[in-house]
Amino acid sequence: MNAKRKRPDTISDSVTEQERIVHEVIQSKQDMGISQQDIKREINLHSNLIAKCIKSLVSKNLIKEVKNIHSRRQKHYMSAEFEPSNEITGGAWYVEGSLDKEYINVLKEQCWRKIYGLKVATLEGIADAIKRSNVSQIELSKQQVEEIVKALVLDNEVMEVRSTGTGEFASIPVGKACYKCAGKRGYGGEPKLGALASIPCGVCPQISRCTPDGMISPITCEYYKKWLEF
Amino acid sequence: MVTQYGIKYAVNLITAHFGDLVAKVCECLLRRGPLTLQAIVRSTELTSSQVKNSLLVLIQHNCVQAFILDQTGEHGDGAKQSTQYIALFDNIIQRWRFPKFLTMVSKKLDKQCVELLEGLLQHGRLTLKQMFDRAKSGQNEGDDVVQEAFVKLLNAHFIERCPASEPVLTNPTKEEEAARKRAAKSGKILEVQETLEQRVVEAAMPTEALRFLFATETEPTADGGKDKSNSSSVTLGEKRKHDAIESKAESGATDEQVVLWRANIDEFIRHLRHKACIENVRARFDDGAVIVFGAMLEATRSAEKKVKTENSVPLSLSSIYEEVIKSEEGRNITFDRVRASLVQLSCPPFVKAANESYSVDFKKIIELAQHEEVESIVLKRYGRDAYRMFRLLSNSGHLLETDKVADATFVEKKETPIILYKLWKDDYLQLEKLQIGVKQTPFQLWKVNKSTLKVHVLDEMFHAAFNLSQRVAFELEQEKELSNVLQDKRVNRLRKRLLLESSQMKLDDAIMLFHDF
Repeated sequence: MNAKRKRPDTISDSVTEQERIVHEVIQSKQDMGISQQDIKREINLHSNLIAKCIKSLVSKNLIKEVKNIHSRRQKHYMSAEFEPSNEITGGAWYVEGSLDKEYINVLKEQCWRKIYGLKVATLEGIADAIKRSNVSQIELSKQQVEEIVKALVLDNEVMEVRSTGTGEFASIPVGKACYKCAGKRGYGGEPKLGALASIPCGVCPQISRCTPDGMISPITCEYYKKWLEF
Repeated sequence: MVTQYGIKYAVNLITAHFGDLVAKVCECLLRRGPLTLQAIVRSTELTSSQVKNSLLVLIQHNCVQAFILDQTGEHGDGAKQSTQYIALFDNIIQRWRFPKFLTMVSKKLDKQCVELLEGLLQHGRLTLKQMFDRAKSGQNEGDDVVQEAFVKLLNAHFIERCPASEPVLTNPTKEEEAARKRAAKSGKILEVQETLEQRVVEAAMPTEALRFLFATETEPTADGGKDKSNSSSVTLGEKRKHDAIESKAESGATDEQVVLWRANIDEFIRHLRHKACIENVRARFDDGAVIVFGAMLEATRSAEKKVKTENSVPLSLSSIYEEVIKSEEGRNITFDRVRASLVQLSCPPFVKAANESYSVDFKKIIELAQHEEVESIVLKRYGRDAYRMFRLLSNSGHLLETDKVADATFVEKKETPIILYKLWKDDYLQLEKLQIGVKQTPFQLWKVNKSTLKVHVLDEMFHAAFNLSQRVAFELEQEKELSNVLQDKRVNRLRKRLLLESSQMKLDDAIMLFHDF
């Protein structure tokens, strides 16, 4: 057997003809990779044979298994010379095919605190503040900061406004997007509870089936009973 | 907006106040639209006399309005005129709010005014003489005390002359219809087309000059109004006054005897709308901003032409300052502080500045409050991930693909469609599918349609309000049956009722936000 490291784009004689075909299919998908099921669709080989080829190619380090966030149950394969694209890894926010929620939540709170400290902040201002105070090695791109800040807007922790160039916006060009903390509550507080949401009917999954004389009615309702027995 | 549960809720109110018979007639009109007397009789299978009496009660209490529809034939042949009756849904649901109106008057005016208003709300409409008689038999108060209270209420526009009994409504001309269709086709933005109920109410209403006019044979009563539009005293020219008095003298009648008065619901709703806006400002800004905002509303209230006005009349900074320092809490606020508060109030844009004038943007405040109410339902019912998704789609205003929603809200790609489907199944989202290529799975695109969602949420609110009233009635029955039970159980029952009734009040505020404001 040839001891030299094989060049990625050549197949040695130790690879069978079927393995070569399977490898070519996987290589053609570049940084997107392919599942075993999809390989079978493209070439007319028996599933067992494809599985055997894949196992052999992995052991020869010609292909590798990667995580695909779109189909976490099926195994996904890629030729060794490629790195998985963001589309299948999910990008910076995914680890091992799953969303890194703890990391995201930590970053969200950090961004909120910077905005709270600055009173009014642009994306650049927030990114700078994080970079200056960041004790860990993590570097956030401007796009990542933007994604986190926009998620804070969706959580109603922060609001997006346009600079008027005066007052608290004096140092910011007119019309530029900036961010302020929303409302009077601290980070993570619940928004004010609405009128409908504060009664059983407002959160009831059966509201559309509830009628005065029906099986589900305000008189017989179990949610009402629990709510009134406080 | 009349929704299915809106009708049930309204009929429930009428049943509670006037009984099943009157409610049957009312329900017929609410479900089937305006009808003639004969048509109501056929539809309800009641006798003509029962229907007439029910209609009289409903008209007396401003829940139904009669009108004549002038249907001129297409070829210019003789006009057909028939009296029809239309249920006034907007007025019916106000009946639940009478205690709120009385509380308002007790804070702004005096006890005599509250008693006078109570009589008008109980009886629907009264002449001044009837008000005098009622006061004598009840509180034993003199006519002058009653008249003074009457004038105070009139000056504040809390009462008004009753509408015409059978106004004539004409169908739009062919030219007007054609113009409307052309404008719709060209996509031009039209004013919201008035409903038939609105057209009938408008046609019946006295002119603005007459609506709050109180003319007597004696000298005009004290004009306590702030400006001309607020004056309830005689403002006719001398000749016209002379003519008016002469004609009444000839007929032997005075305003006291013939003119019917009723509570002016519009003014109460306007006050409640302002109160709701102030509460919204209080939730977001400091006390100074609240005082400045309140002063702006106080200064411009009398100039509002309609309840659902989108913007207040513009005011200069100095006018706002003058109004602020009139109140006790605003006395120590400086000019600079007023200016700073106005800047604060521009973000979010509750107050707009243009050409050194400031006006309140009611539409923005109410829209934000409506969004918060709906978002609160989504958060409680479907969870935080759904809340973020809903806010994303609501703020963007256009279709977004599933993966885009997942990315922006930091939700796993596999979980996102499950959550979106739940929202779609319950009519909180719209779904469109986009097929690209024959073999590929179609893309799913999601959107919030704000106008249809508003109607849907309002119907859910009416449903919840109806449920609460059913439960309150049930708890009251239970209380009666258990009247001899132990004290602690009775205290428990009382707490339940208080919780239910305070929830009813709070929910009614939300219904006003979606329906009346």
